[in-house]
Amino acid sequence: MRLNSRKEYANEAISQFIDIENREVSVAALHDAELYELELERIFAKAWLMIGHETEIPNVGDYVVRLMGEDQVIVARAADGQVHVSLNVCPHRAMHVCLADSGNARVHKCIYHGWAFRPDGSFIGAPIEREQMHGNIKTKDQLGLKKARVQLYGGLVFATWNHDGPSLDDWFGDMKFYYDMLFCRTDNGLEVLGPPQRLTIDANWKTAGEQSACDGFHTLTLHGSVIDIGAMGGESDTEHESAPAMYGINLSGNGHSLRCIAADTSWALAHGKGDLTPEQRLEAFPPPGITPELLPEVKRNMSAEQLHVLAKAPPVVGGMFPNMNILFIYSPLRDGTLGSALVLHSIMPKGPDHFEWTTYYFAEKGTPEHIKVMMRASATLGTGTSGIIEQDDSDTWPHMTESAKGVIGRTETLKYQAILGENRPSDWPNKAKVYEGFGKDDAQWEWWLAYHKLMTADA
Amino acid sequence: MSVTIATVNYTREDQRRGEVPYGSPVYNTIMGFLIREARLLDHREIKAWGELLAEDLEYKAPVRITRRVQQFDQEFGTMGHFDEDHNSMMLRITRLLTTTNAWSEDPASRVRRFISNVSIWETDAPDEYEVSSYLLLTRNRAEAKDYKQLSAERNDRLRMTKDGFKLARRSILLDQVVLGMPNFAIFL
Repeated sequence: MRLNSRKEYANEAISQFIDIENREVSVAALHDAELYELELERIFAKAWLMIGHETEIPNVGDYVVRLMGEDQVIVARAADGQVHVSLNVCPHRAMHVCLADSGNARVHKCIYHGWAFRPDGSFIGAPIEREQMHGNIKTKDQLGLKKARVQLYGGLVFATWNHDGPSLDDWFGDMKFYYDMLFCRTDNGLEVLGPPQRLTIDANWKTAGEQSACDGFHTLTLHGSVIDIGAMGGESDTEHESAPAMYGINLSGNGHSLRCIAADTSWALAHGKGDLTPEQRLEAFPPPGITPELLPEVKRNMSAEQLHVLAKAPPVVGGMFPNMNILFIYSPLRDGTLGSALVLHSIMPKGPDHFEWTTYYFAEKGTPEHIKVMMRASATLGTGTSGIIEQDDSDTWPHMTESAKGVIGRTETLKYQAILGENRPSDWPNKAKVYEGFGKDDAQWEWWLAYHKLMTADA
Repeated sequence: MSVTIATVNYTREDQRRGEVPYGSPVYNTIMGFLIREARLLDHREIKAWGELLAEDLEYKAPVRITRRVQQFDQEFGTMGHFDEDHNSMMLRITRLLTTTNAWSEDPASRVRRFISNVSIWETDAPDEYEVSSYLLLTRNRAEAKDYKQLSAERNDRLRMTKDGFKLARRSILLDQVVLGMPNFAIFL
């Protein structure tokens, strides 16, 4: 296995793609085939990638097939009750072992020559045992499916091929403190509301990746139609009136990011002006995804510092480096009440000019069933394939990628020069980089710095 | 089975009674409805199309999953690409018609909906029919030389009212597990 064959190319080329001093990225980076191959090796074979949720595979033998970069993996619950992630490539002759997207199997048997594997990836044997068709050079222990390193977090399945790299906790760094407010806040945790939506977008994966790092600014124009029809939680019909939600607190660490919107802004948009204390408001208006019945659990599971953040300005959107997009937002339900939509996207590269956009919807397990059904509908209306917010994003990313194909177009740059700078409010926890004010380019630039760091790290 | 597989049978064979003969007056009227509907959408007469939707509309396009043939009856998930009622469809239509910044369809795609293989059944409700049709949709945008295509089976519930037929339910069973078009800013 040669993962470092492009090393020389990398260290020179990457410094040409990214101008650290001027905070610019060459548009060529959105189309370059050599760079793309390096990204598969240095980012998608190294990073912790979110590839599903354990509630998709509740029973022993349940499995789903997912992507890590362009590699298919089997995510399965084995006899030990644990979630295992194994490369969906038969070590015999490279046939895909699993041919369905999901199902239940105690044995995964390759249809080509019949090599068989357990859900934990271990090799059982080949047909006609007495003939020992796996030979006698390698032992059965050496012939299992290639295993990824796995860590569950809030039920989310994270996997990486970097067996000696940082733990998931270290990978998140200070951002874990904030992610816990979304993923680890109730006693029973989240569950998926169904198998994910999947679609192909004719664009480079980084167009969606960098946007996920708190590009709040595009909301005003690209998503203007949603603001205009009052579907973003307010009655606003002008840019000026919708502008308050543009002010908030952006957080960034290790390329991960979250955007916190002041609870009094959300409250005012939903209910008009009021003069509640943060604690009263938290009771009257829990964070997205939390019903009043679940609030006591949140209070029990969160630290005082975390509760302060939730009451003041809960995180609502953001990303996880390199390829996750998070939306835990207030969203109207079809019964007329203000509910929420809990959405995660993964962005999996499929060549320099394509990626797969996968969309998961969630609810806290403790949510009443009829509300889960309405949350699912609300998430579908706003996000994903037909979402009135996100259909405009999927229209933009291909244009950016197309621009990179022109020999002149590719000499342009993506610019991240609108800077707020770190300015943590005195009552905000001293965790991660904190940017308060009108959302600017800070967190997105940090995404590129994390990209640069991983791409130039000694392999 | 796990929570992610729909228990709903989206084809709803159990609601089908006597099949309406091809070429009969009812068959022709419903065929005319499907053709008119496709024409309205293809020509961006979205408001007029919206008037064909019943107030109790259920409009869904469930996520499809590749399964082994033994689980062929478990191909569709509880999540969908559409998961709509009348109000949400009206919101989508309002956005497309009243704003000047619904960018995913501005400039608009050139879309053709080819409807065929129509089968119609009577139901227990007088004036209501179960209608199954095939949809082949081509979508071209800007200067793209190729088309985004989509094929699906639609299972509808149509209701005759004093204003003509209304669409009360549509289940769109897509043939793609991974969609080839980047969004459904269009109706199916």
